[in-house]
Amino acid sequence: MDKLTPEAIDRIFKQNRQQSANWIKVGMSTCGIAAGADEVYATLVEEIKKRNIQVTVKKCGCLGMCHAEPLVEVCVDGMPTVIYGRVNKEIAVKILDKHVNSKALLNDYIFDLETK
Amino acid sequence: MFKKTILLKDTSFSPEDKTRDVFTRCLDYLREKQLEQDIQVVRVADSGVYGQGLVMKVLPDATLYVNLKDEDVTRVIDAAAQNKTIEGLALKKAPKQIRIVLRNCGKIDPESLEEYIATGGYVGLKKALLELTPDKVIEEMKKAGLRGRGGAGYPTWMKWKFARQVVADQKFVICNADEGDPGAYMDRSVLEGDPHSVIEGLIIAAYAVGASKGYFYIRAEYPLAVERIQKAIDQANAAGLLGKNILGSAFSLDLEIRLGAGAFVCGEETALIASIEGRRGTPRPRPPYPSVKGLWDKPTVINNVETLSNVSFILLKGSEQFASIGTEKSKGTKVFAVTGKVKNSGLVEVPMGITLREIVYDIGGGTISGKAVKAVQTGGPSGGVIPVDALDTQVDYENLQKLGSIMGSGGMIVMDEEDCMVDIAKFYLGFCVDESCGKCAPCRIGGYQMLEVLKRVANGQAKLEDMTVLRRISQAMQKASLCGLGQTAANPVLSTMKYFESEYKQHIENKKCPAGKCSALSNYAIIQEKCKRCSLCQKNCPVEAIPGSREDGFTIVQEKCIKCGRCLEVCKFKAVSKT
Repeated sequence: MDKLTPEAIDRIFKQNRQQSANWIKVGMSTCGIAAGADEVYATLVEEIKKRNIQVTVKKCGCLGMCHAEPLVEVCVDGMPTVIYGRVNKEIAVKILDKHVNSKALLNDYIFDLETK
Repeated sequence: MFKKTILLKDTSFSPEDKTRDVFTRCLDYLREKQLEQDIQVVRVADSGVYGQGLVMKVLPDATLYVNLKDEDVTRVIDAAAQNKTIEGLALKKAPKQIRIVLRNCGKIDPESLEEYIATGGYVGLKKALLELTPDKVIEEMKKAGLRGRGGAGYPTWMKWKFARQVVADQKFVICNADEGDPGAYMDRSVLEGDPHSVIEGLIIAAYAVGASKGYFYIRAEYPLAVERIQKAIDQANAAGLLGKNILGSAFSLDLEIRLGAGAFVCGEETALIASIEGRRGTPRPRPPYPSVKGLWDKPTVINNVETLSNVSFILLKGSEQFASIGTEKSKGTKVFAVTGKVKNSGLVEVPMGITLREIVYDIGGGTISGKAVKAVQTGGPSGGVIPVDALDTQVDYENLQKLGSIMGSGGMIVMDEEDCMVDIAKFYLGFCVDESCGKCAPCRIGGYQMLEVLKRVANGQAKLEDMTVLRRISQAMQKASLCGLGQTAANPVLSTMKYFESEYKQHIENKKCPAGKCSALSNYAIIQEKCKRCSLCQKNCPVEAIPGSREDGFTIVQEKCIKCGRCLEVCKFKAVSKT
């Protein structure tokens, strides 16, 4: 990376404020990984490639809901952003098929907890 | 595309879950009204409210309805379809959590410097370096009222000021990431989830005190945290946020990681310094404080991970915003790792002044077993146990101290009726005895002797006088120990004795453990009237303490029994009693 100037910091801060839609975040702190987030992440990446879906998968830290790890937060166009908890390989695939592709939320796995 | 989403959950504590029934009715109603294309109803695993009956939440407006009666369900759907809110039924739920330290955790990619900057990262540092003098930065901290989050709550600005005032050719800053309290892992999550915020805080601290070299002291048990901090340091070096002439200013700083080998006492600042210097991790008497004479006898500021993450927030958002949160003497928020018997174990970040009850019930969702909460332990081995009657206490440094506990680094362990207070005291004291460095006698000998007494209590061999012995040794340890470990090691014992004296007396006088936890005081027996002679207990007993046959029945031989409780667990007919 090039050396940052004070102006560059301001520029990144201002321009990057709106995050683009269509992303999936997987909690990959120790708590998440211990619960199997590695496998979920790998599954998501692989299946997205297979299905050729326009969505980015990102690794991130711990949201604080450690009891419900692995956590997967999903934000796609036209859908409310929700967090799925206790996700495994099968549910990860369901999230892609149902939530991302068919635009319908999955029953029984959403954790609507305070994270802001 | 759906116009509205309705989240649905039955949150009552009754064993009968109505969620699915209501869900089916909702689907029927949507079909009847031909709203299937506009509204979707979803069953959720957790709605964030507990014990409030049927809960529906309408998105994207986030209107929350609780304690709904059967006839309300269709009304909620109708209102959502018409883009209305049912006044009087909708609940205004103020958020309990405020996220400052955890502001980016779980939101950004911890390995991306750019994402951190996009959230306002290093903007505070830029402001400090280019617009503020070091004295002004310290002044900001004073106005913010930030106190150390490592446990003692010492004002951060004072620490910085002392170090700044000393004239020396070299000064140091250290980030204390040697998180050792059992059950506490807030620092690990911040290091793993938002490493740059801690680094930024440390750079600001270094600028304020005039240090040119900094260390991260992280325990080796946190490999992922070490990896991410190292990556973040490398990124910051490459971007010119560390190293020579940071952001074109005259200020330079080098950062380096030092691994702790897992000794609890190395979280104490003088022991931590000894450890970085390559010596054995034992504390030394203070004063002189590290701010005056620290690492290699140079002025050194040591701040906790959470404190530093707060520092970068204060520089970004201003001290007024920070000081507007919290109580008069304790500003800002505190991150707690809520664990134990609580339903939602995890991290919470709450404003100072919130009650323990709100944390345990409203955020934590109560106990996992549904049993009553008995006590809450805060502050780890240096803290104490807070009984359920005191749950309405507002959380801040002073209030917790008054209760005989401390804020500590943020471990919060919820205990229910099945937890024995003698056992808890024994566990924490045992931890401190294991971790005592052995340098001073009160801690080394006093801790051991107290543990011996506690073991006697748990085994039913203690006398009432032993409680006086415990109090006397505690006093000696508090007064005469060299460092915080020994001075506070007796806290869990003292606080359990204070609030649960009768439980101690039950152990001593009646040889009974009310919670059934102390195995030496419990007996297992087979209730012959209920026994169906299935032989499951016999097969599962690991020490062959259950002789007998399917014809003649079974008995437990007390001399052989190790009280593991396996027979009780496997018996399908509740024919094993525990007394």
